[in-house]
Amino acid sequence: MASEAYQGRPAFRRGPGSLATGLLVVGALGLAGLAAARYLGLDPDGLLPGAGGLRLAGDFFSRALSPALAYEGSYVVGGPVSVLTDALQAALRTVMFAAAAISLSIVGGSVLGFLATSAWWDQPGVPRRAFPLVTALARGLITLMRSVHELVWAVLLLAALGTGQLVAVIAIAIPYSGTLAKVFSEMVEEAPRDASHALALAGASPLQALCFGGVPRAVPDMLAYTFYRFECALRSSAVMGFFGFPTLGYHISASFENLHYGEVWTHLYVLFGLILLVDAWSGRLRQAVLS
Amino acid sequence: MSRAAEVARLRAERPRRPFVIYSNLTLGGIILASWLFGPFGVSGWLTTARLSGAREFLAEMRPWPLRDQSWNWDVAFGWAADLWQRQGQEALLTTLAISVAAIVLAGCLGFLLALPAARNFAHPRPFLAGGKPAGPVESGLWRSLVWLTRVVLVFLRSVPEYLWAFLLLALLGPSPWPMVLALALHNAGILGKLTAEVIENTDDQATGALRGLGASRWQILLGAIFPLSLPRFLLYFFYRWETCVREATVLGMLGMASLGFWLTQARAGNRYDDMLFFILAGALLVLVGDVVSGVARRIVRRA
Repeated sequence: MASEAYQGRPAFRRGPGSLATGLLVVGALGLAGLAAARYLGLDPDGLLPGAGGLRLAGDFFSRALSPALAYEGSYVVGGPVSVLTDALQAALRTVMFAAAAISLSIVGGSVLGFLATSAWWDQPGVPRRAFPLVTALARGLITLMRSVHELVWAVLLLAALGTGQLVAVIAIAIPYSGTLAKVFSEMVEEAPRDASHALALAGASPLQALCFGGVPRAVPDMLAYTFYRFECALRSSAVMGFFGFPTLGYHISASFENLHYGEVWTHLYVLFGLILLVDAWSGRLRQAVLS
Repeated sequence: MSRAAEVARLRAERPRRPFVIYSNLTLGGIILASWLFGPFGVSGWLTTARLSGAREFLAEMRPWPLRDQSWNWDVAFGWAADLWQRQGQEALLTTLAISVAAIVLAGCLGFLLALPAARNFAHPRPFLAGGKPAGPVESGLWRSLVWLTRVVLVFLRSVPEYLWAFLLLALLGPSPWPMVLALALHNAGILGKLTAEVIENTDDQATGALRGLGASRWQILLGAIFPLSLPRFLLYFFYRWETCVREATVLGMLGMASLGFWLTQARAGNRYDDMLFFILAGALLVLVGDVVSGVARRIVRRA
């Protein structure tokens, strides 16, 4: 349940033996980690870069404090544009891809979430087993959408539909719709039912009770979560650049492969700035909404 | 008072938060502007060429022994079993191992980084205000430690996993380390932030009482902070493991033998039937991971 870690207020029933269980889990996890490291053949020596890696690390990190402002290559397609201008334009496109994707996800997530929630049939006056088939189908679809990573969706859609900027938007929107649907439906189900019960007792239909009593109680949570997902979409959108879409990731990989590390840092700093800005925004909004 | 006036009064008294309203308007504006001025070209995007391409693609997703033939479950199963044995099995196990190794590393790093980031732990008078106040130099040093750790945490989590892996692969060369470290660093940033919040929210009556009895910072850590924050920490740990499994499936696209690698290989060779197989295998792994994590979280919460 993604909403759980995000909301940060699950109810713990504490009792004797809880620390013992926790320690047992920690021990089991340690063993699992060791087994995984063994399977992968991870040894600490692998953490030391070779001579080539060290030289590259030196070249790369030495530019951290002097990011490039002009292109480092002698020939640049499109004439003499400053790297910073390019990076800011790429950042703008990164925001555009993320915003377009999140808007599709809000629509998809609301529709699917509505179908997946039990809140509108699990109410007084509705036969208990009225809509489980719809709910089960919706939940299955949500799971499938969520289980495939957005980059895999991008590869799949590029193969199926050919190139085009809209592919990246749809690729991000599919798993994000699934996640929003899952979290929205959980939030509506966990929201206090006082208002919807009052409406139902006053004669409202179950659907009316849900729309005017249930959903409004969950809206602040849903809103805060949507902003959080927007921040995630920004990261996904930047990474889409590695697949040729014109977001920040594209410039980072291109500059890196040309060994123009100063340019890489310029793009990296713009990406940090963007993510920090939205992180601070969504954090403040979360506090404002949930207080 | 009439009912209309009562409604009007309630409406006027409803809580309003300008920041929330402006945030919504801003996000709405950004979305509108993106669709209007973005490079998406929505109209005329779904051409007949695209659709016929998609139809061809769907046909090629049929397992190759079954092309132009009627569906036969035995043949399909044989094809899948063969692929599973040749590549699928190892790819799946590698992906799983990467996610487990990464999240365990992230958990250790995250917990260690959470301590200097928690304002009540990293404080000249930990857990109990009062007594002789700390000098300005001492408090300043502690405050800058907290601030510095938080900057590191923000940095770790704001770099996407894929970008970490891309950079680390260039530095460390081909081994599973770049993928494990990429996942571990990003998630250490997230777990560190969440755990610092958990530590700051621990019941200060318990920690304060221990402090009052003369327990040291580290004794309080072991005796109160660790047991009190462990369940919540494990909850976040398993929640982040789910995303680790998801990300581990794609990091292979950079060229390591996890599922993503075989997926891009199949894509490059136009073997769309194999590609679908690896996508479904990845989805299955993610699904199993979600279920395991759900069970684990329920155990932790009941503990």
